[in-house]
Amino acid sequence: MQYALLAYSPAETTDRATRPIPDALAPLLDRPDVTGWTRLHADESATTLRNDEGRMLLTDGPFIDSKEYLAGLILIEADDLDGALATAAELLRTTRPGTAIEVRPILDGRFRGA
Amino acid sequence: MALDAVFRDQWGRVLATLVGILGDIELAEDAAAEAFAIAAERWPRDGEPANPTGWLITTARNRAIDHLRRRQVLADKTNLLTRDLETGPQPREVLMDDAATIPDERLELIFTCCHPALALEAQVALTLRTLGGLSTDEIALAFLVPFETMSKRLTRTKRKIRNAGIPFAVPPDHRLPDRLAAVLAVVYLIFNQGWGGGRVDLTAEAIHLGRALAGLMPDEPEVLALLALMLLHDARKAARLRDGQIVPLDEQDRTLWDTRQIDEGRALLQRAMARGRTGPYLVQGAIADLHLHEPRDWRQIAALYQTLARQTRSSIVEMNRAIAVAEIDGPEAGLAILDRLDLGHYRYFHSTRAEFLRRAGRDAEAHHAYRRALDLAQTEPEQRFLADRLAETAPPS
Repeated sequence: MQYALLAYSPAETTDRATRPIPDALAPLLDRPDVTGWTRLHADESATTLRNDEGRMLLTDGPFIDSKEYLAGLILIEADDLDGALATAAELLRTTRPGTAIEVRPILDGRFRGA
Repeated sequence: MALDAVFRDQWGRVLATLVGILGDIELAEDAAAEAFAIAAERWPRDGEPANPTGWLITTARNRAIDHLRRRQVLADKTNLLTRDLETGPQPREVLMDDAATIPDERLELIFTCCHPALALEAQVALTLRTLGGLSTDEIALAFLVPFETMSKRLTRTKRKIRNAGIPFAVPPDHRLPDRLAAVLAVVYLIFNQGWGGGRVDLTAEAIHLGRALAGLMPDEPEVLALLALMLLHDARKAARLRDGQIVPLDEQDRTLWDTRQIDEGRALLQRAMARGRTGPYLVQGAIADLHLHEPRDWRQIAALYQTLARQTRSSIVEMNRAIAVAEIDGPEAGLAILDRLDLGHYRYFHSTRAEFLRRAGRDAEAHHAYRRALDLAQTEPEQRFLADRLAETAPPS
């Protein structure tokens, strides 16, 4: 099965764009069961467009305003939810405290390489 | 649909096998319900088949295939399913006649239903539905929620299992301890809910589930210990109420205790202890056993609660230790322990505290604490018991 791992990070003081991928995380992202990944800029870079009965409303900032922000998306292949949770736990161990990963099964989709 | 006792016993077994074959709880449940309805109609007329379980599974499986065939949108799935069944190792006739060839997959099912990715209330409801064979109506009544709410909860849970890929499998060894603890917690929660006085006898359901687990995992000490614990508690059922009033343990009529159940519980505890690992249910079982002796050995009970508190870090366990300590060193010693606990939301905390205060001669404070307990009481016998105590501790006017 395919799963999307949505990584939420607590806010940082330094500029996210200047920091490299953590050393421990890089090899995990290269594993064959990781079928795709993206790292996102911090949430102050977000612009949200909303369909308000046909009118497109534009706002500055992320759709959901919370302490944590959506920091990245990792697509993986796993036998079942237990397998996906195990991979998510491995990834999570390489992150800062307070990081959370939401595991969602993928219904369908396509992901062309970066 | 209502199932009589014979059907109830078959339900979990039949459903588990169907989930194994069909790979989907919703589909399996619909098919099983149909097969049971057919059986209810035919068996009284034509007689029970030689192998009722096999008959029910085969009938349900055939119904499920019919449904899938009729639903053209699922054409691909049907081909797959039919092929699997045709080339599978168990031809239909053998399946119907030979119970030994039907694998018992209830363990796989209970580990699926009690998966930690499901909310606890969802785990409990689904376990009662799938393995306990309770109807949605009965589960809704037991948990005092509207039928619609329970129905939605069950549907949502079954869909999550399917869509999220929650495995239908007994967990591998490295995951087993945690996963088994989750299963046992669900069974014990069902038992304790039954204690709370709902309209469905959930204690019997929990014991039924406990027995099934003990049969399926006879080498797991905590499984045996949980069954023992429930049997020992339940053995005092008939003595616990007199004329709708709660009877404290020391005043209970011991001739009303179920000695056969107590013997069975003690034998299970022995078997669990022989395996050498002391988990929290074994400690609780041992405590329940000590409570049945007269006079009660409060020192040993307090020591076991200390062990349990270390294992579980539970404030409720600490509260129970306080009760034992109060018996040994007096109510003020018990109160000293209670004062350290943050259990203001827990109804038995206030009744326990009130009892200590009353024994310490602090009636005004006891009266106040009984009032808090009464506000939180959930069953009528509890309310009556507390109302009496409240009156006893009322200040003279």
